[in-house]
Amino acid sequence: MVHISLWYLPLLVLLPLTVLAIIAVWLRRVAHRQSIAEEEPDWSVPALGDEEGGISPLHRWDVRCKIVTILGFSFVIASLGHLGPALTAVGISLIVSVISKVSLARVLFRLLALTGFLGMLVVVMPFTVPTHSGDTLVIFGNTDWLCLNLRGLLLSATISARAVAIALLMEPLFSTAPLPVTLHGLCRLGVPEMASQSVLLSYRYVHVFRHEARRMSAGMQVRGFRKRTDIQTLRTVAYFLGMLFVRSFERTERVFEAMRARGYRGRFPEPVELRMRTMDILMASVWLVAAAVLITYDRILF
Amino acid sequence: MHEIHEGAAFRLTSGSLLFNVRNLFFRYSNDIPALFGVNADISPGDRIALVGKNGSGKTTLIKLLCGLLAPEDGEVRYKGKPLAGQRLEQARLELGVLFQDPDDQLFMHTVIEDAAFGPGQQGKSQKEAQLAAIKALHQVGLEKMAYKAPHNLSFGQKKRAALAGLLAMNPEVLLLDEPTANLDPNQEQVFLDLLKNFTGTLICISHDLIFLYELCDRAVVIDQGRIHHDYTLRELVSQRHTLREHGLDFSFRLVMTPSAPDPDSEVIENTLSQSAPASEKTEDPPIVELHGFQYRYPDGTLALQNVTFSIRKGERISIVGENGAGKSTLLSCLVGLLQGKGDYRFAGKTVTRKECKRLWRRVGIVFQDCADQLFCSSVKEELAFGLHRLGYSRSETEPRVCRALSMVRLEGFEDRVPLHLSGGERKRLALACVLIMEPELLILDEPTAGLDPQGEELLLNILYNLDVTLVLVSHDVFFMKELTRRTLVMHQGKILEDLPIQTFMQDDRLGDLNGLSYMYRLRSSRDIRILQHEHEHSHPHTHLHTHPHRHENLVHEHTHAHEHDHPHRFVHRHPGEEKKHDHMPRRYHHHDHSDHDRESHDHSHENNNTDK
Repeated sequence: MVHISLWYLPLLVLLPLTVLAIIAVWLRRVAHRQSIAEEEPDWSVPALGDEEGGISPLHRWDVRCKIVTILGFSFVIASLGHLGPALTAVGISLIVSVISKVSLARVLFRLLALTGFLGMLVVVMPFTVPTHSGDTLVIFGNTDWLCLNLRGLLLSATISARAVAIALLMEPLFSTAPLPVTLHGLCRLGVPEMASQSVLLSYRYVHVFRHEARRMSAGMQVRGFRKRTDIQTLRTVAYFLGMLFVRSFERTERVFEAMRARGYRGRFPEPVELRMRTMDILMASVWLVAAAVLITYDRILF
Repeated sequence: MHEIHEGAAFRLTSGSLLFNVRNLFFRYSNDIPALFGVNADISPGDRIALVGKNGSGKTTLIKLLCGLLAPEDGEVRYKGKPLAGQRLEQARLELGVLFQDPDDQLFMHTVIEDAAFGPGQQGKSQKEAQLAAIKALHQVGLEKMAYKAPHNLSFGQKKRAALAGLLAMNPEVLLLDEPTANLDPNQEQVFLDLLKNFTGTLICISHDLIFLYELCDRAVVIDQGRIHHDYTLRELVSQRHTLREHGLDFSFRLVMTPSAPDPDSEVIENTLSQSAPASEKTEDPPIVELHGFQYRYPDGTLALQNVTFSIRKGERISIVGENGAGKSTLLSCLVGLLQGKGDYRFAGKTVTRKECKRLWRRVGIVFQDCADQLFCSSVKEELAFGLHRLGYSRSETEPRVCRALSMVRLEGFEDRVPLHLSGGERKRLALACVLIMEPELLILDEPTAGLDPQGEELLLNILYNLDVTLVLVSHDVFFMKELTRRTLVMHQGKILEDLPIQTFMQDDRLGDLNGLSYMYRLRSSRDIRILQHEHEHSHPHTHLHTHPHRHENLVHEHTHAHEHDHPHRFVHRHPGEEKKHDHMPRRYHHHDHSDHDRESHDHSHENNNTDK
């Protein structure tokens, strides 16, 4: 049990929050700057390279192997119980991100999405974890009811590191193959084709519905609609959502008609012919070894 | 009502039939009857224009032809066999249907994947499908966009990508539903060239008869679910009374000089003097003043650069430019939806961030797709929405709603659901929703998009009578010419020129720069105008001619004159473009034609003389 002055309390709460906020703002700026393309990409060639000429080993990796291996590795990361191995996992994920040449902006946006939740965890958890025997408690002045548990701090840091490591892996998993190819791989792994097609169409039309919603919202704004806490706002938002639903439903019907008109009979054409090669198995083995090392490090060395 | 040409059905033009439609009935699930007893024969190679008012049943017929809908009664036969079961599956791979909204049709993740979808369904290998897709994309000029996601394409590019998806299937038949709606003239020309080169059977729905005139040979007029006429397109466009009867009379568009409005049009009742720039009348500060204005999208794209112009109260201006020139962004800034950098003054007052949020009280905008701004459950509520926001009481609202409805000729529509109105009605309702708020500045974004000619003419008349400062964004040169006096030419986010509409109309350089070349429209309009004035008539007359004849035993030929009484096909300036004339076009009739024999006159004779 460690006793320190009460004025340390706001410092210990505000400092991590401030640091996190600064990091978040910096990340956002970097991500935004990175996301602005200096010139229009060449759309006459595949953005991710074709099967043979992919821009990194992860791009060339068989998608089924990649899904199974990276998801498996993510579960291993999630099972880590100590900060050291979790930080090692973060390192591995960073190396994989660099090797796979994924977009820095997208990685940063992914991390930014986590910062709010992780920030709260880092601040709240040290004060709220149940006290076990042997825990080091920091007590601020005479406030015995509010003590900082160092085990809680360590736990929150470990969880954060695990979350960051897994989030970093998601970009190499999803950005190194086009979505239809990834979904095709999932189908080959046993995911129902209907589910895969639904995801595929949802991803395509989420942009269309977003544009539609934005246009409708603009249409309401130019006639004076402003969100307030009154019944009129509630009614207008209900109209908006209703209309959006009706239009989405009608569009769904039209899309299905267009698909049928072009010969759709329940199946999309296969985007690529999947072939498992020795190199794919070899890469999976490397990941397997890394996972084994992490587990050993976590369970035996600690 | 005129006689319906039911017996005629579609005429056979050559060989075996492609489609054979007999006694087709169809009604939608909400019990609205759509087609009654339609009979149609379509042969390979036919190029058919399917025309009619909004809601006449054109799209329903196309959906029945490609088997997307099943007839309630009657039969559709494709290549001699009923369009059902296995035959239907096969037919779908031979038919290409282009829908109105390209987003409905581009359901894959990249343009090339979408173009390869059809060939893949036809059983082609992945490689073959890819090759077919690349070829089709090359045809439509999108080979450089092959791996782009459809939602990142412009509207015109989406339309072309959708067409590429069909061309990749090498279809025998193309069924097109409003292929050029909302396209700029440049893209329209691309479409026209592509479709002209298509060698298969073509069935095209469009309200744009000038476009159809270039593309199709045959016209089928549908009205209220029935086929009323089936003849050549030349015959259709030349018979103005038929066009008017079916709400298709676009002749008001054929008047190409502002000084000579069409005498038959109601538009003549109004004068352009109403729209004379107020700059000539008033010394007030401009209602809109932009100086060095720019707007950058969040992704860094500079959408508007150094925009400088002003609009005076009562002035009517048009803004033109190719798709993506920045017109819509400029409108969004004017109405306060977007806030750019630079000096923007409204009625002499700088528009700050706070002012921006209040601009809706003074500026009204009608969007290109007016469905985006109609969201209430009844027409009455829709109209009252803006008034309630302005703080009007219920008792003040009622009379204004009635007045607004009457202004846009929608009396009696109070309890109708906006979503169920036709395109033209919706457009007028959106206009009424804006006008009811009495804006100082009215902005119209592509007001004619998707309207049938009758709807266009009605809208034109309504807009003529408005006493409001107007900003019109349109690719429709006729509307621009009729409604505005000044044009801003935009290109790549900049205002290139600010000039009187007449000067713009005569400046080919600006037209080419913006892809606003209207050459084929002018050519077609001229042809159609001639057709509408072409007719036959006869009266006794003499003229010099040669024919064999007998002088006692001698049969010989020489030029001589004697009296005739036979019909002549006759095209003339009748009797001067600016004067009113009311004969039925292409009908045999008599009219005064003095000094026919002696004085030179302007008409062409065709070989239908029956000299004796």
